[in-house]
Parts: sequence; C-alpha cells; structure tokens
Amino acid sequence: MQNKKTIFVCCGTGCQANGSMKIYQALLEAISGLNLKVEVVADIKKTGCHGLCQKGPLVHIAPQEITYIHVKTADVPEIIERSIIKDEVIDRLLYFDKQQNAKIQSKSDWTFEKKQYRIALRHCGGIANDSIDDYIAKGGYQALEKVLKTMTAQQVIDEIKKSGLRGRGGGGFPTGLKWTFAAKAQGDVKYVICNGDEGDPGAFMDRSIMEGDPHTVLEGMAICGYAIGANQGFLYIRDEYGLAVENMRKAIADAHSKGLLGENICGSGFAFDAEVVRGGGAFVCGEETSLIHSIEGSTGEPTPKPPFPANQGLWGKPTIINNVETWANVPVIINKGADWFASIGSEKSKGTKVFALVGKINNTGLVEVPMGIKLREIIYDIGGGVGKNRKFKAVQTGGPSGGCIPESKLDLPIDYDSLIAEGSMMGSGGMIVIDDRTCMVEFARYYLKFLSEESCGKCVPCREGIKSMLKILSDICEGRGQAGDIELLEQIGAMVKANSLCGLGKTAPNPVLSNIANFRDEFDAHINDKRCPAGVCKNLTKLYIDKEVCIGCGLCVKVCPVGAISGDKKQPHILDEAKCVNCGSCRERCAVDAVRVR
Amino acid sequence: MQIIINGKTYAANPGEKILDVARRNLVEIPTLCHSEALPGLASCRLCMVEVHESGRTQEVAACTYPVSDGMEVVTNSEMITAKRKILLALYNLIAPNSERIKGLMTRYHVKPFDRLQADAESKCILCGLCVKACEELGTNAISTLFRGTKKKIGTAFEQPAAECIGCGSCASVCPTQAIEMTEADGKRTIWDKTFDLQRCQDCGEYYTTPEALAHVRQKLGETVGNIEELQLCDYCKNRRTAEKLKDGLRLNELFAAKAK
Repeated sequence: MQNKKTIFVCCGTGCQANGSMKIYQALLEAISGLNLKVEVVADIKKTGCHGLCQKGPLVHIAPQEITYIHVKTADVPEIIERSIIKDEVIDRLLYFDKQQNAKIQSKSDWTFEKKQYRIALRHCGGIANDSIDDYIAKGGYQALEKVLKTMTAQQVIDEIKKSGLRGRGGGGFPTGLKWTFAAKAQGDVKYVICNGDEGDPGAFMDRSIMEGDPHTVLEGMAICGYAIGANQGFLYIRDEYGLAVENMRKAIADAHSKGLLGENICGSGFAFDAEVVRGGGAFVCGEETSLIHSIEGSTGEPTPKPPFPANQGLWGKPTIINNVETWANVPVIINKGADWFASIGSEKSKGTKVFALVGKINNTGLVEVPMGIKLREIIYDIGGGVGKNRKFKAVQTGGPSGGCIPESKLDLPIDYDSLIAEGSMMGSGGMIVIDDRTCMVEFARYYLKFLSEESCGKCVPCREGIKSMLKILSDICEGRGQAGDIELLEQIGAMVKANSLCGLGKTAPNPVLSNIANFRDEFDAHINDKRCPAGVCKNLTKLYIDKEVCIGCGLCVKVCPVGAISGDKKQPHILDEAKCVNCGSCRERCAVDAVRVR
Repeated sequence: MQIIINGKTYAANPGEKILDVARRNLVEIPTLCHSEALPGLASCRLCMVEVHESGRTQEVAACTYPVSDGMEVVTNSEMITAKRKILLALYNLIAPNSERIKGLMTRYHVKPFDRLQADAESKCILCGLCVKACEELGTNAISTLFRGTKKKIGTAFEQPAAECIGCGSCASVCPTQAIEMTEADGKRTIWDKTFDLQRCQDCGEYYTTPEALAHVRQKLGETVGNIEELQLCDYCKNRRTAEKLKDGLRLNELFAAKAK
C-alpha cells in the first residue's frame, strides 16, 4: 500500500515517565477512528529508548523520517492531521540542534546522533519492543539459525574470540576466552546467565536494551549455550526494572511459541531455555559470584575467585555470565563476522560501548559510540556541552566506583585500558558530567556513602575501610578536616583496593583516590582554609552578592527561605551573612551570576 | 609440584592453597577467619600475599588461592606489610579489646589510628566463622543480618532460635571472643536462650547440653551414636584414651574397637 506509515512512540522508562503511554493510547484511538474515512494505514509501535531521553516523549514517523520531541497528548490530533494524513512537518515539534543552529526534521540528522554507532542499540526505538515478528523482520534469530545449521561450537567460540569482544559489564574480560574456559570445563550441566542487575546510579544502558530489544539478549544467550554446551539460561534482572522483566518474559514466551527456544531449535536437535530471575535488591548482586548465590537462593554475597564461574558457577556447574550489552553484540558478530566487528574501535577494545550520558549536560540520554572515541566528542559533540552555560569540571565514568576525569584529559581516547590508566574504569557505562558548581570532595563522599550502604559487609577492608574513609571525608566536608587526612585516605584506599574480596571493594576507593589525584587543591582548601571553592559544603561556604554584577531583579529575594537578602528594585541587593543558611537557592536562581562564594 | 615462598622452595600438592603449604612449613601468614576445620571464608583479608605466576603479579588471599607449580609467593614485601598494618589498625577500631588483635598489633608493629576513634564496646569482626560452624553442624541457628556497615551476626529476627542446640561451637571458633556464653548453676545461656547442662559420666562436671548431645547422636547414626565416650567431657575422654594407651592397647585396636 502506498500510504503506509509507521509511528514509533518511545515507551522506554524515561519517556513513559513523561507520559508517552498516554500519547501511544491517544494515537491508537485517533487512528482507529480515522481508518474508516482516510486511506492511511498507520502502524503504531511502542518501542524502546530512542536515545535522547531529555527531549522525551519522542515520536518518530517513518518512512518520512520525522522525529518529534516533547510530544504531548494535545499534539496528537495535529500530528495525525498534518503528518499522517498529509505529509507535512510540524515545525514546532522538531528538535532545535544548537550545534547546527537549526531545526532538524529527522533524528538521524541530529548532531546527537552523528558520532554514534549503534550495534547493541541497533533495534532500540526502531522495533516494537514486544514483538518477535518485528525482531525477526529485522533479521533477528538469523544468527542463531546460522550457528545451529552451519557452525560447530568451536567455530562460534573462535568467531567471538576473533572479534575481540570484551565484557561490557565493566571488567572488560575477553568474552571468547571466557567461553573457551566454560566449553573446556567438565560438567554434564552448564549454565548461561545474563547479568541484568544494573545498579550504578544514573545508568540505564542495560535496562534500555532489555526493555527495547529483549530478543537480541535471548539470541545471544542461546548462541553461547550452543557454543559451550549449555541448555539453560537465567536472566537476572534488577527487581526495580519492572518493564524489562515484563518484556523479557514476553520475549521468552514468544520465542517458545516460534520454536526459537525450547527443544530442538530450528530442527537442529539443540535445546535451550531461559528463565527470568528477579534481582535480590543489592548493588553487590551485580558481582558475578554474588549474583550466582542470589539465584541459588542464598544471601547475595561474593565468594573468592578462583574458582571462576566458568569452571564452577551456578550450583557448582560451569557457568558463563555476561552483561546484557555483551549479549546484544553477539548476534551481530555472528551475522556480520568477526572481522567487521574488529574493524570498529581501538586496538585492544573492539566494537562500541553504550553510555548513559547524564549529569550537568545538555543532551541527557543513551549514546552508543565506537571505542576509542575522545571524551570531548561525547561530551561536546554528542552531549551538546555542559548545561546552563556552566564550566565543565570533570566527567565520572564507571559508576560509583569509577574515577573522575578532569578537563585536561578530555582528549583521552576511551577504552577499557585508557580509563583504568587514569584511575577510573569503563564500568557498565555510566557517564556523569560534573560542572564547576560541584564540589569534588562532596562528590567523592556521596559515592562512598552509597558504597558504604551497598557493601555487603562480608570482608573487613571493604566494610570498615569504606566506613573509615567516609568518616574522614565527612569530617573534611563539615569543616573538621585535619592535616594528614589526604595521606590517610590514600593509605586506606590503597589497602581497600588491594585487599577487598570482590570487585565492589576493589574499586570503591576510586572516586576518592582519583579526585585526590586530580583535584587536590579542593581537598586542601577544605582542610587548610576551611573553604569549599564550589560553594557546596554548607559549613565551609560563605555567599555574598557582587554589587558590580547584581541588577536588582529581586529573584533571589523570592527564593531565599530565611529572608537574608534585601535591596531596592534595580539596585544591587545585599545578603545578610548572619541570617544566610548557605542553601544556595539564590545562587542557583541568579541569572547574572552575581551570587558568589567567598 | 613445588612452590617458592619468600625465596625458599617447598613441596606442594595440587589442590592445596598457599596457606596450607605455608603453615605446614611454619612460614608465618597471619589470619583471623581461617580454621582448618572450616576453611574457605576469605573474609578477614589478613592473609594477603604477593604472588608471581605465569608472568603476572597479584595480591591474593593465601587461604583460598590454589598453588601452581613454580609459583612464587612473597609474604613480607613492603607492598604487603604496609597494607597489613593499615588493615590491622582497622581491626583495632572494631575490636580494640581483643587479645588476638592486640597480639597481632604488637607482632606487626602497628600503631593505632590517632585520627579514628575505636569502638570500645564492639568485639565482633564479622568474619563469619561462627555462622559457618553453625551451618556445617547442620543447625543453621545464626546467620549474618543486614548488610554493609549495619551488618551483624544473630538469630532470625533476633529472637531465641528454635534451631539453637546450645553447643557453643560458634563461641569456641570465634577469634575475638565476641559471642557471649555464660554458665551458672547447671545452666548455659547463649543467643538469649538458656539450656540445662549435662554432667560428665566420669567426673560429674557440666560439659554440654542434652540438645547438643542428641544432635550429635542423630548425626552419627545408631551404631556410633551410642558409644560411651559421648557421655564424657573432653578431659575425661582424653584421660580414658590415655589410660587405654597406657594399658598397652595399640591405637589401631582402639579404632577397630570403636568401629564395632
């Protein structure tokens, strides 16, 4: 049919929070009313994350390639009238691209998209997230069929090895090598596990893949099952990820009904099944041995490695655990070949990486970039730079256990090894941009506090080390810092890194240690001058209004909760330091940056 | 196979851990959570050693890291001892009155932290040995509760546990004497539960609880569970064995008699 259009409504968690389900419903109703009168067939698809979460809800129309942002239910009639029935573009709903200084019709032309390269996210936003037919129409399950019909288990492992794929969960262990261990391990029963216990604050890469393209994960796992000789898979999904659980369960049921899971898949004689396990609710359950114990029904606490799960994992059987994003790469590697995959990325880190770009950045969202791209390109080209015209200070990679990378190192090509060399890590892909109004001491304290609550408490270096470091950092932030504190933090930090039992403790001191290395002057200012240069630590902040800059607009007077600011209209205002509680509301509100830190 | 510890070569068997070889050869590696009867906890992290193996250097826990042929282990490098001192100083914060920790502090010349306040009340280092002992016994009366800095050891819902048999194994394996077990007037109190005590058949001293004895009997089965030695305290058990040896009964005969 000539006039067939497809409307893709982003129903990822971010857009759903902004009401995209209502838009989806409104579109369905509007179209069902229309079909009787007009010769338009519009297929409305509920999809996973399109990427630019900040501008959600996002609605994309194909084949005209029109992308609308910040869509409201009130916009639905106009969208139907002008863009579905006719072929017009509603200018008002288009994205204004600052870098190009123009309104852009299609998301593929956004600067946000241009430096991205989508492999793991290839289907997110482009297929209905609950439809196996959509996935199959896009070439889904071809890779599974290919390995079952034309490849030996060893050939599959060799292909993954040759591709250079490394674990996307953070460690960066070569995936093919891990599979080799499990394939060689003796055992009548073997298991495949998908680690979907994404726990980093601000990270939503795995969630988006599970929500938006659940079948690619299942296909990757089944391929691994064939390669190592496993017939059962478990998807350990963070309990809070309700939509991911729902979509994944539906995907499993649909794959069963099409004979793509279960006995004798594609007539090959190979059997593979998968089951969703809801996470135990602790950050540490993302650590593979803890995750295994959690599935077994025990407390989610780590146990020493060796033995590695590839030899002795779930219920003592050889087990492969890979992260969601790793699984999403597997079918593509099988379809397009290891050489193609290895041609993308840097020397030792092949392929792409998905990052959750958040914090003080203009374009918050989900981005997938080739390994080896410079941080500067992600933050300025894709991310559109720091928000509210503030100055860039640092970017934290790797979640709560990652380090902060300062501006001087923005030209660092990012891959697993370069980030570790800078005292940070890839982690699962959280990327938090920090501006000049963030206190680096407080920032480190915040993450240490998170980790002190999330440490399982099994080993003393992690439990007591983090607690002691947190005590010192809190003292520094509250004005009780002492000479020698920095050195003590470094000493305890080094011990916690080396002696802790699992990855949580081994990386927990990273935010503190990297901030000391890169922002030592801020620590010194807190300890020696009892001053917080960023104006965040309340006990160490004194605000004043710069008379030369203040335009007397009165905005600060309105937001001050204690009535500490006074002044006549259009005359410079005065801040009474005796009354001021250093909440920073006036500073946040001031349009001309007249509120300063002493 | 052979491994090298601090420059000296020692024989080792496949499957052994570094600590096994070190202990057998009297090479000192400090531990708190290790018990030969209950190995593999690896929670105290005091036994960290430097390992050079197939071209790479790692810091590993000696109690759980398996030996490999030609592996080189260093137990007292600057890298290891500096961190051991920091770790012991942390132990001093959580169990400052423990004799074992005080001894280790002296042994390794550790100065307490001036900057951080020790908790004079606390004794437990949460190594988990007691939980493991209870688990291995098959009683599972205690476990770790909560997580992170709030973690503690206790019975379910911190109520007296039906599973507890008052055997006192948890208290006896505890490296820091953190588990309170009191005995008075023929009664033993542990984990908020009071038990009657049973007297030794020979000397008449109190030595265990009837619940613990019943548990042991059940575990051992009918044949072995009814042997007379179970009615004796440790002292009398040893004394009887010594007497039998003195009487010229050879050890293998003793075992043969027991097996019947």
